[in-house]
Amino acid sequence: MSSILSQAARSIDLDPVRKFKEKGGTVIGYTCSFVPVEIFHAAGMLPIRLRGINTESLNIGDAYYGPFVCTFPKALLQQAGQGSFKFLDGAVISAGCDAMRRLDECWRKMSEDVPGALPPSWFYYLDVPHKPQGVALEWYQSRIRKLIQALEEKFGVHITDESLHLAISKQNKVRTALGELAELRCLEPAVVSGTEAFEALIARNVLPTDIYLEELDRLIEEVKSRAEPVSGYRKRLFITGSICDDLELVEQIEAAGAVVVGETVCYGLRNTSPLVSDTGDPVAALSAFYLSGSVCPRMFGYYPTRLVAISGRIKRTQAQGVIMQNIRFCDLHGSENGLLERDLEKLDVPTLRIEKEYGALTEKGRLRMRIDAFLEQLEKSRPPVQEAEG
Amino acid sequence: MRMVAGCDVGSLATKAVIMERRRVVAAAIVRSGPKPAASAQAAMDQALAQAGCGLSDIAYCVGTGYGREKISFMNESLSEISCHGKGAQFLVPSARSVIDIGGQDCKVIRLDAKGSLVKFVTNDKCASGTGRFLEVMAKVLNIAVAELGELALKSRDPVTLASMCTVWAQADVIKHINARRPAEDICAGVNAAMANRVAMMANALQLENDICMTGGVAKNKGVVQALGRIMGKRIKEIRQIDPQLVGALGAALFASEKATKN
Amino acid sequence: MRPALKEYPLDLLFARTFQVAQKLGRSTEKERAILLQSVPYVSGLLGPILSIGQPAITFLELMADYYGNLINAKKEGKKVVMTTFCFDPTIFYAFGNLVPVTLEVGTVITSILWKRGSFDFMDFCTEVGFSETGCSSQRGTMGAYLSGAGVEIDLVAVNMGGVCDTNSNAYSFAAQYLNKPFYGLDYPSELTPDEVTDYHHKDYRALIRFLEEHGQCRFDIDRLRELLEEKKIQDELTNELEEMQRLVPNPLPGIFHLLIYAARYTNSGSKKFTRMLREMVEVVRDNATNGRSGMGQTEKCRALLFYIDNFSFNVGMFDWLARHQVSHMGSMLSRFFPDNAPYRRDVSGTCFSIDTRSLDTMIDTLADINARMPMTRTIRGPYDAPNMWLEDSLSLAKIYKADCCVYNGTPGCRNTWSNVKLIARDLEKHGYPTHLVYADAFDGRVESWEATAMRMEEFFKIRGLL
Repeated sequence: MSSILSQAARSIDLDPVRKFKEKGGTVIGYTCSFVPVEIFHAAGMLPIRLRGINTESLNIGDAYYGPFVCTFPKALLQQAGQGSFKFLDGAVISAGCDAMRRLDECWRKMSEDVPGALPPSWFYYLDVPHKPQGVALEWYQSRIRKLIQALEEKFGVHITDESLHLAISKQNKVRTALGELAELRCLEPAVVSGTEAFEALIARNVLPTDIYLEELDRLIEEVKSRAEPVSGYRKRLFITGSICDDLELVEQIEAAGAVVVGETVCYGLRNTSPLVSDTGDPVAALSAFYLSGSVCPRMFGYYPTRLVAISGRIKRTQAQGVIMQNIRFCDLHGSENGLLERDLEKLDVPTLRIEKEYGALTEKGRLRMRIDAFLEQLEKSRPPVQEAEG
Repeated sequence: MRMVAGCDVGSLATKAVIMERRRVVAAAIVRSGPKPAASAQAAMDQALAQAGCGLSDIAYCVGTGYGREKISFMNESLSEISCHGKGAQFLVPSARSVIDIGGQDCKVIRLDAKGSLVKFVTNDKCASGTGRFLEVMAKVLNIAVAELGELALKSRDPVTLASMCTVWAQADVIKHINARRPAEDICAGVNAAMANRVAMMANALQLENDICMTGGVAKNKGVVQALGRIMGKRIKEIRQIDPQLVGALGAALFASEKATKN
Repeated sequence: MRPALKEYPLDLLFARTFQVAQKLGRSTEKERAILLQSVPYVSGLLGPILSIGQPAITFLELMADYYGNLINAKKEGKKVVMTTFCFDPTIFYAFGNLVPVTLEVGTVITSILWKRGSFDFMDFCTEVGFSETGCSSQRGTMGAYLSGAGVEIDLVAVNMGGVCDTNSNAYSFAAQYLNKPFYGLDYPSELTPDEVTDYHHKDYRALIRFLEEHGQCRFDIDRLRELLEEKKIQDELTNELEEMQRLVPNPLPGIFHLLIYAARYTNSGSKKFTRMLREMVEVVRDNATNGRSGMGQTEKCRALLFYIDNFSFNVGMFDWLARHQVSHMGSMLSRFFPDNAPYRRDVSGTCFSIDTRSLDTMIDTLADINARMPMTRTIRGPYDAPNMWLEDSLSLAKIYKADCCVYNGTPGCRNTWSNVKLIARDLEKHGYPTHLVYADAFDGRVESWEATAMRMEEFFKIRGLL
């Protein structure tokens, strides 16, 4: 297990990020998987996907958001208000879902009351269409070009096709390595725990690429050389649904006696295609990858494509059950989970739907009971009731 | 064959059942205190006293319920979903579906012919559709929860509660009290609101016959009747024991299997 | 959902109800009084609506036509398109063989008409896997179409991508559940730049290709021109009503808003809708000439509902406002932004114009209309961006001399609940006392109408508005 990956996955305030800043680096926060990180890498900046972990109170989040809203953007707003994102030079809020896109206004308005809560140099709103093809893809591409232009103007940098190609090929290396890790998770008996793998997946969103790639390669080599499989698990489970960077959830599932072998949640693997094309127009390649390859239910009318992708991954991981979670008020995943439940069960894949709050705000006891019950359900083959001896 | 036990530490009540040769020999229900370990001990002590034996006579004990991990004397713990399914099918062998409404949550369970879990859903989003909802409404009506069901059966013109939210439903109940609607009509309205909520969950699971109800709320005939009517299905009553004990009974049955195997 | 409900075809029920109700136009006062006694369940609604006079009867005729078309669609070889209120239906009528069914209109009718409202249909959606926290405005009748209690749907075409997730998500779920073709128009977060207009136009053309392919039809250009020319007249009449609303007291009865937008969502471009508007203009003009308020009593205060109305049983909110002598200055649902509307003054350059010169200009017109439909226009971008929620609300409040603003919506509205506290704060800063209603416009189970009314009372009294 890599302690660097583990630490990166469990804290917002990170040593490597601090060092990057000390050397004069620019750090940009972003909020959704529709933001191509290659653009920032190409400009020599460090993109960090913002997280709301370890949020204990939502007094700031609730002051600006209404009551019927998902706790994830509220947790981000809370952290921003508490000063946890002071390391940011800029931030991009993208139109992921309605609650997330309104983080733009909530954050700006909150910073009128909490001076200094807004990143000092740059605060940008990125429009992302809700269709993966045709005129929507053209639009997204034009938005990405606008984003690049804005970044160049604001920070006086020059983002060339060449630098984008370099960034793409480096991120593709990360994708290849993560693909390898995903393949290792498909092995039975399991050789890597879901917790370890999820740590690695989360850390990707917050660490400088060179450090991350080195740690990831080391982890993969170490896993490959393991003599013993993961001990004592009863079932292999897969996680789908709302945004999740909640290691506690994975730990809880594994503590109940399962091994988590894959997930399609944000912060995990969220894309159907393995790599970004590294030839031709880099912006076109990035647009196609980020917009057309996502499995996010915000792309309305494309459930059939997602079902094929998700059920394919479930099959490949040899999962015996699927935990479909959604954060309360996340209608997109809430109802997609309803469709997935119907369709996966047709394929004989048992599912458990759970609605919860974001991360640490979830009530753990009841969640554990349901996970236990689900595992008991999967172990149907309990010995039949026998008459006690007379 | 020595005796086995099941202990169910719920949010509002803690239950213990002692069985010998798959027959219930003792059972106890105590109100859950702040410490699950102490509640479990109290319920078990009561049951042991009833059975006239000590903890050392218990060959195997399965714990269940919200506070199950804290039970000091158990050999193993299982979820209350499995235990309610197990217990219900023991009492009603034809049962394929179980609706368990406890103090703070509601579970709907589907079983196969062997009593194994096929699928389940739970509601623990809020108090509506749980025993807590009834408790709050009974308090507003100034009657005991136990009376809600009996009173409701006398109603000829149930009120409609606009709200399902526990907070707003209280305001609704007060409105009806002020309008001098008879208590039985309000009780029937409360039960129907509760049943509507549970029926939605039950329908989501496409319940098969036979259906039985467990948990404290199963004692409320008004809710049981309303639920059956809304779902268009008959609900089989559990008569042999207090329906609140079914989880503990299921745990004891699992304990009995383990004891036999060991 | 109670199993028995599946035995009552919903559209047939509506069609028959409106077909019978429209005949009330030929009844005498005495006959009506007897009727109201024998239908205690709907008399609370029918009474106030009939008191409006002729426009109400025409409205009932319009709804009878709409549901009549729907139940006869299959017999006549037509296809049924499931769509949303903010989708201008003209395009469907321009195709000879498409009949729209607008979920939100059905939800409003069930919520207003039935004491148990549309709860059963809402719950059915949850039972089949749709998120319980999704907007109730679709769920209220979506359940009927998913369960088979409504007519069979052939395709789904909507326009809320980029505007409202929960709306788009509901239709996308329905299409998937019923296994029907789906097309969703999508909107950028801005309204006026040329590149945005270009996006609107291109996306709309792709929609037409979808309708042609899956509806197996081609639309009739002459018919489209005729419909658009009729819409011009309708907009002019609506503008006249809007202009008269600027008078103090406001001569327009609050309930007219509901009738106008419901008719527009379902019957845009129809001659009968024009007739209803003409009849309304007459009523309102008469009130205006005589200095009467539309409420029939003195106007104490003017309230802009800067989101939507409330459709609880018996149109409680409309009634409450009138009883408290508060003029209903319209909601977001009331305004469509043609470029000759009186409220265009502060928002010029953001409206649509109807251009029937060629096929291309007509298609562009339809795209422009759709891009400015309620919500589609106003809540697509940051609320404080140009031409968005704050600017529109402030300009409407100013033009209509509102004394206060009221937000009423549904808890399912992730979009507005994510910034309504911010806009409320801004409206207050601009001098408008602002009240947020936490109820569900379509689902009385969230907060009973009595509780909502109590809080409204509190707000209007404490803020010195009454």
